[in-house]
Amino acid sequence: MDIKERLGKTKYDVDKSFAHITVDDRICEKCPHHFCVMACPAQCYTMQDGKLSFQYEDCVECGTCSVACDQGSVKWQFPKAGKGVIYKYG
Amino acid sequence: MPDYDAIVVGAGNAGSAAAITMANNGLSVLLVDRSDPPGAKNLSGGVLWGNDLAQILPKWQSEAPLERFIQDKKIGFLTDKSSIIIDFKTKIFEENKVGYTVLRSKFDPWLAKKAREAGATVIPGITVESLAKKDGKIIGVEESGDVITSNVVILAEGINPRLAIEAGLRGPLQDWEVSVGVKEIIKLSPQKIEDRFNLSSTSGLASEYIMGNLQELNVGAFFYTNKDSISLGIVAPMENLRENGITHTYDIIEQFKEHPSIAPLIDGGTVAEYGAHMIPEGGMEMVPKLYGDGYMIVGDAAGFGFSNGLVLQGMNYAFLSGILAGETAVNAKGRNDFTSEALALYRQKLEESYVLKDLKTFKDIRKVTNNKSMYTTYPKMLESILLEMLWERGQPKKKVRDILGSCAADLKMSKLKTATDFYYIYRRM
Repeated sequence: MDIKERLGKTKYDVDKSFAHITVDDRICEKCPHHFCVMACPAQCYTMQDGKLSFQYEDCVECGTCSVACDQGSVKWQFPKAGKGVIYKYG
Repeated sequence: MPDYDAIVVGAGNAGSAAAITMANNGLSVLLVDRSDPPGAKNLSGGVLWGNDLAQILPKWQSEAPLERFIQDKKIGFLTDKSSIIIDFKTKIFEENKVGYTVLRSKFDPWLAKKAREAGATVIPGITVESLAKKDGKIIGVEESGDVITSNVVILAEGINPRLAIEAGLRGPLQDWEVSVGVKEIIKLSPQKIEDRFNLSSTSGLASEYIMGNLQELNVGAFFYTNKDSISLGIVAPMENLRENGITHTYDIIEQFKEHPSIAPLIDGGTVAEYGAHMIPEGGMEMVPKLYGDGYMIVGDAAGFGFSNGLVLQGMNYAFLSGILAGETAVNAKGRNDFTSEALALYRQKLEESYVLKDLKTFKDIRKVTNNKSMYTTYPKMLESILLEMLWERGQPKKKVRDILGSCAADLKMSKLKTATDFYYIYRRM
């Protein structure tokens, strides 16, 4: 089953006004490995035309990218009150 | 005078257990959680063992929203085409129902409600932005520019402890300290679950696997039955994922689901939820300083978990560390002393309990769980031995000794390496 389809089963209240994760494009450009693309379980990090692309909307807030990124690009904060992923089962 | 005796950040198992312990003893407690309802960010990757929960909630088995008690525990190895499983089904589990599968989005709100009933103020949907400090002491929390003060802050923020990291109470997480857990909920009718797994309406199955079917990855997998769903997932060490560097974590769980011995078990089921969570794997070495002036760290945030590839536990350590921190706060309140010296009692209590005893006893376990042979060679070796022993192919039979010899040769294993591995597994496990 495609990851996007699986993510579609999970409930979110996306905060459109606040990205709880930000990446620094200048750092990502020089990254030797882009391990975030492999590690992120929610496919928030993808390579497009040789460039790293990031979106936070599908993030399940596991924090994996904050460990995976050893280049200092990923800035990780908790989403604002009640926003983000809302597991119905957990 | 502070607003509260204690502020607990995070209403998971550790935080709510701490809040209940303190509120039961008359402390004024504020319990906040960044999700609403509380626990909606949490995933259980394991079985809830409730011995410690019973200390604070003796009637938990009849009151808590539990899924199924564990009657059947399986541990096994998967290879490309085979599964080799030890199936431990015992009346002893049925007579002593302490292990249950749970769904955290149901369980955690119940536990937080218990904290409220004990007298704690519980506010879900509050994201604490930072810890408030004064003269090097933690004096409360900050949210939306407001400071709420307390004698002690109990940090129960989970495995991704942003506040503790930001306040310098622990360093950023390192690869070797965590695994990535990826989990799905598969809907399946109770009837199907009970027929398929030979269970009653209340009994359940918990299985843990070592995935020997992945090249160069040291991945464990789990499979649990809930009332009307299956919880399944994989656990991949960050260090090993990075070294491998070519596998998406979201694909590994698919490989588990598609394994010939797993696919039939979820046949007819539909994916109801997908999620991921990190898991503490660093053992004793990842445990930060657990207390200081005005704070204590509990549960996953403190790195309390146990995993040896076949057993995965964390919720029991969460309950117990929460209770012990709660007891320490009660003691500190009695002496009106919340300094580092007074809160050192928490560490002492942990040392005396199985929490730190387990972490110390198994301090070398990562050398076993990181041993590639455990995932790549030994499952295949077991498969070869069983094929030789159990499969009639019209050829002369071999003694076990000779089977082992030819397997080792096929898999290019030296006798010395194998002997050393087994010696260390024996010593460390």
